[in-house]
Amino acid sequence: MRYLARRSAHAVLLLLAISVFSFALLQWAPGSFFDSMRLDPRISSQTVSGMRAEYGIDRPFVVRYARWLSSMLKGEMGFSFAYGTSVGPLLCVRARNTLLLTSSATLLAWLLAIPIGIWGAASKGTWGDRACGMTMSALLTIPDLLLALILLLLAVRTGWFPVGGMVSAGVGGVDFWSRVADVARHLILPALGLALATLPILVRHIRSAMIDALESPFIGAARGHGIPRARLLFRYALPAASNPLISLFGFSIATMLSASVIIEVVLSWPGLGPLMVQAILARDVYVVIGVVMLSSVFLVAGNLVSDVLLFMSDPRIRVE
Amino acid sequence: MKRRYKLWATFAVLAGFHAAILFAGFLAPYSFSAQDRDAPYAPPSRIHFFDSHGTFHARPFVYGMKDDPENYGTYRVDFQQIYPLRFFVTGAPYKIAGLLASRTHCFGTAPGHVFLMGTDGYGRDQFSRLLYGGQISLAAGWIAAAFSILFGAIIGGLAGFYGGWLDDILMRGGELFLALPWLYFLFAVRAALPLQVAQWQVFLLLVVVIGLIGWARPARLIRGIVMSAKERNFVTAARAFGASDAYLLRRHVLPQAYGVMLTQMTLLVPQYILAEVTLTFLGLGVGEPMPSWGSLLASLQQYYVLASYWWMFLPTVLLIPVFLTYYAAADALQERVKSVAL
Amino acid sequence: MGESILRKPGAVCLFAVIVCAFCTMSGRAAQRKEDLMVTKNAPGRFGGSITVAVRSDPKTLNPVLAVDEATREIIDCMNADLIHINRETQQTEPALAKSWSVSRDGRTYTLRLRSGVRFSDGQPFTADDVVFSFELYLDEKIHSSQRDLLIIGGKPISVEKIDDYTVRFQLAQPYAAAERIFDGLAILPRHLLENAYKNGTFAQSWSVSTPAGEFAGLGPFRLKEYVPGQHIALERNPYYWKADLQGCRLPYIDELVFLFVPSEDAQVIRFQAGDTDLLSRFSAQNFAVLQRGQAAKGYKLEDLGPGLEYNFLFFNLDNLADKNLPEIARKQVWFRDVRFRQAVSAAIDREGIVRLVYNGRATPLWSQVTPGNRMWVDASLAHPPQSLDRARELLKNAGFSWNSAGNLMDSHNQSVEFSILTSSSNAERTKMATLIQADLAQLGMNVHVVSLDFGAMVDRLLNSFDYEAAMMGLASGDADPTAEMNVWLSSGGTHLWDLTESKPATPWETQMDQLMNQQLVTMNYVQRKHLYDQVQEIVAQDLPVICLASPHILIGAKDRIGNFHPAILAPYALWNVDELYVQ
Repeated sequence: MRYLARRSAHAVLLLLAISVFSFALLQWAPGSFFDSMRLDPRISSQTVSGMRAEYGIDRPFVVRYARWLSSMLKGEMGFSFAYGTSVGPLLCVRARNTLLLTSSATLLAWLLAIPIGIWGAASKGTWGDRACGMTMSALLTIPDLLLALILLLLAVRTGWFPVGGMVSAGVGGVDFWSRVADVARHLILPALGLALATLPILVRHIRSAMIDALESPFIGAARGHGIPRARLLFRYALPAASNPLISLFGFSIATMLSASVIIEVVLSWPGLGPLMVQAILARDVYVVIGVVMLSSVFLVAGNLVSDVLLFMSDPRIRVE
Repeated sequence: MKRRYKLWATFAVLAGFHAAILFAGFLAPYSFSAQDRDAPYAPPSRIHFFDSHGTFHARPFVYGMKDDPENYGTYRVDFQQIYPLRFFVTGAPYKIAGLLASRTHCFGTAPGHVFLMGTDGYGRDQFSRLLYGGQISLAAGWIAAAFSILFGAIIGGLAGFYGGWLDDILMRGGELFLALPWLYFLFAVRAALPLQVAQWQVFLLLVVVIGLIGWARPARLIRGIVMSAKERNFVTAARAFGASDAYLLRRHVLPQAYGVMLTQMTLLVPQYILAEVTLTFLGLGVGEPMPSWGSLLASLQQYYVLASYWWMFLPTVLLIPVFLTYYAAADALQERVKSVAL
Repeated sequence: MGESILRKPGAVCLFAVIVCAFCTMSGRAAQRKEDLMVTKNAPGRFGGSITVAVRSDPKTLNPVLAVDEATREIIDCMNADLIHINRETQQTEPALAKSWSVSRDGRTYTLRLRSGVRFSDGQPFTADDVVFSFELYLDEKIHSSQRDLLIIGGKPISVEKIDDYTVRFQLAQPYAAAERIFDGLAILPRHLLENAYKNGTFAQSWSVSTPAGEFAGLGPFRLKEYVPGQHIALERNPYYWKADLQGCRLPYIDELVFLFVPSEDAQVIRFQAGDTDLLSRFSAQNFAVLQRGQAAKGYKLEDLGPGLEYNFLFFNLDNLADKNLPEIARKQVWFRDVRFRQAVSAAIDREGIVRLVYNGRATPLWSQVTPGNRMWVDASLAHPPQSLDRARELLKNAGFSWNSAGNLMDSHNQSVEFSILTSSSNAERTKMATLIQADLAQLGMNVHVVSLDFGAMVDRLLNSFDYEAAMMGLASGDADPTAEMNVWLSSGGTHLWDLTESKPATPWETQMDQLMNQQLVTMNYVQRKHLYDQVQEIVAQDLPVICLASPHILIGAKDRIGNFHPAILAPYALWNVDELYVQ
């Protein structure tokens, strides 16, 4: 319990540090939101400088940070230049959608990766293992964007899946369960894309951790006792291999979040991704910081969970 | 015996790949920047031994191609024109490893063209660009990955071995690194650089930027292993015999993380080659017309390429065996390291 | 049984006639007080919905504050202006103002408003709303991006209510395109927004989170629902002030849905899958992909020819005296020499650009006005083909020479090497730059292509001036030359190649300033055209920007969309959204 409290306090400090550093980084980036407006022949430079003054982006760093922090405490999370509103409500709905996508993709990825990885380790060196390794490295060489496009092409050609969005047109009126089914249908493609994007990394780590575990003497002993193969793999070897896998789980969340940006843009999933991409390119800085802070919260929480799991699962660590 | 054979076999294949890439100038029939404006998105040339009348030719040949009048931007085979394939032909000048200047190419046709993997939207030979592209990408990918792992091993090792406040600081630092909006840092780096960045600077940048940003993940993984490894009996025993911390880390604790390190390494190389796509977007990659595997992959990420020009994917398909061999080599190495360590 | 009768075409016609008769009756009843505008389109069928994709969520639903294209496209469907530019004819036509008159000195415009028109919430529209709207646009504290359009001769135009249905606008000087400035200036309901304006909260009003009930506009549609990140649905405005020839009140469709699809490829795919009814702003390569499935999938594609966008290459001619950029300042000696620029222009393979970058779906350009701008293009302008010989001769005359390796050297024996800056998010311009790189290599120039993200590029162009040459494209919203004032006046804010200039630096720029200022106050079209032709000739001759190509406007639509008459001006397929119907 004390461990958890200490880690949570650290997490808060960490988030503060992330916000300061993000602010500093954004400060250095060239260009500002209002620059591209100056390229519009219809807008004069006086108007643009008026806007700059209005939004206070020429104020000193400390002042802007303090203002942002106070708006953070109020739940506004700063002000979006592009939308002319506070960032908080903009992120709220989209964060929920991103969370839905990444959590179902995480689930899917681990559900696929654990059996594949274990099977690969158990049948190491066979043709099946090699074919599996080949598929995984093929997946690894395909950029996420291309993967999303391939899935889209598949959807267009076959007509099995909706080709983007989160709900079909005109489902507003129908009952709750068919709405859920509709969202689930739309979820298949992006979740699959995201799971496939992270799958090779997971499989490779699980396979290598399992190989290590299977080669340790106690498994040999267990095998000697005639324990059935399935029980050997899942009951004895898997827990022994779990240590690096739990660490991996913590930041598979981070990988998911960064991969989800591209998947969301291409498959028009209404999450944080499209908002983030636009905000980065348009230098809508407070939206960027808002998304960064949100994903940091996910990331830190993921690592916290994985550390606590590690703490609980591995008695050797608990000694300290 | 079998193990050793496997290791050498994979190394021999890898040496072959690398030699092909090093001698890109000789193997590639064209320069990476030569544009044939009459042949954008030309499909791969087929190599024939029999012509359309069924006559056998001892010297293989390719047919010419002409615009398809019905479909703008596509081509038809012109059976009237036969261009025999010649070996050791003289063509565009090149240098091998920046030293050896030559004009002799392994194969080619004159007149006519031979595009083994078709051409891109500028009418540039994809096969030549694939070979040249490996020069920067492979080196940058490997060095950057080694950099990340080294950094990650030091930091993860220290954090896991000593624990306590050092662990907290290093690991929270790692999370900080993972969470920061690096894209903006890269914007800033690009702005601080001069307008034109020389080729070697780009290379250094790729290595340093990718390598530095990427240490946090391996560090966390290695730390997890070190944390449990240091409590194992033989480590405790060695400690009781008065072994120094440095000795323990080096000889007993870190070797247990070799497996994870190698796995990470082989995973990072393709990731880093892809990371170059993002960097190119920011103007930090190798600029046109210089090819890299990252830019070859980036040019595929468009719907029309996927839907219309399948041969643009040939280079990617060829990358898969390259990476597979790396994995095989890593596996073989891992086994060897283990057999030596135990 | 009843359903099967309705399915017969005859029955549908009958049904339509009944509906129309009903409309006419209600139309006639209202006509005593309502000035409906009658459109000339073929009568359509009522009902149904049309779905369109846009790149992003609307940033605001407040017409005064809207800046970006996606937001404007959505807002324009919910609002109306006083005088409108017909996107097909490119001429002005009456809208909320049914007629107008101009005083003899060209400075006073008197507009007669339609009487009996109602906002989408049923409240009447009067001159007070017009005066109120212009007060908003002109308020300095609101920073409307449209404010600058309303500053004429250095002074804001003044608005005055004469009676409930007459307003008078006073201009500080005669202004050739005065009628055109009303286009796109939405008239807002005073009864809903006055309080917010007086409280100083106008900047926050009508944001994307405002409930649908608090909006009212004069456009064909009104807000139904907005789901962030997914779609915005608009419903038919029952009070809209246009009717077709049969007297039926427009628009025909019940619902207009904008889906937010953030990438072009995804938009193309969703159109192909049948999720959207209309598609615009896509590349020629995607056009070719869509063409293959055209017949089977029930959609049609149209190539409308060049739009107003012109892509160009330009050199940094900024005054760098107070910047520490000696290397660029040294190269500016070449860039400032018109023969150098002419040589570059002569060496560029524009046909190659059209074929390789645009699959042939573009038009090569030698000056800024595209053939799509029918009223203003200078048809007599020469179109010299690529000529490396001419380029070499120009360079030789300018004192350049070639060394033994074939590299171009300047008169100080320095090799000619420079970089072209492009935006990496614009694949087409990057491709053009790479082609130009190869073209200029034939002249012995060592050219580098530097592609940066758009923000970083704009920062270099506008703030640090740390660039040598750059690729850019501009597209005015309007065909009239007045829209381009800021580009061609030496003091203009979009005078990209030399932003440091406060007064013209060269004789030809002096001339260009004079011509542009003169056309602004000339009322006669033929005289104005003559003036603007001269501007185009200067651009082609002295090459402040080297124009390259204008992409064609490509449009796709499902076969079932009726009254589909796309135009080359934005919003391409949606400009007559009130007349579109579903067959």
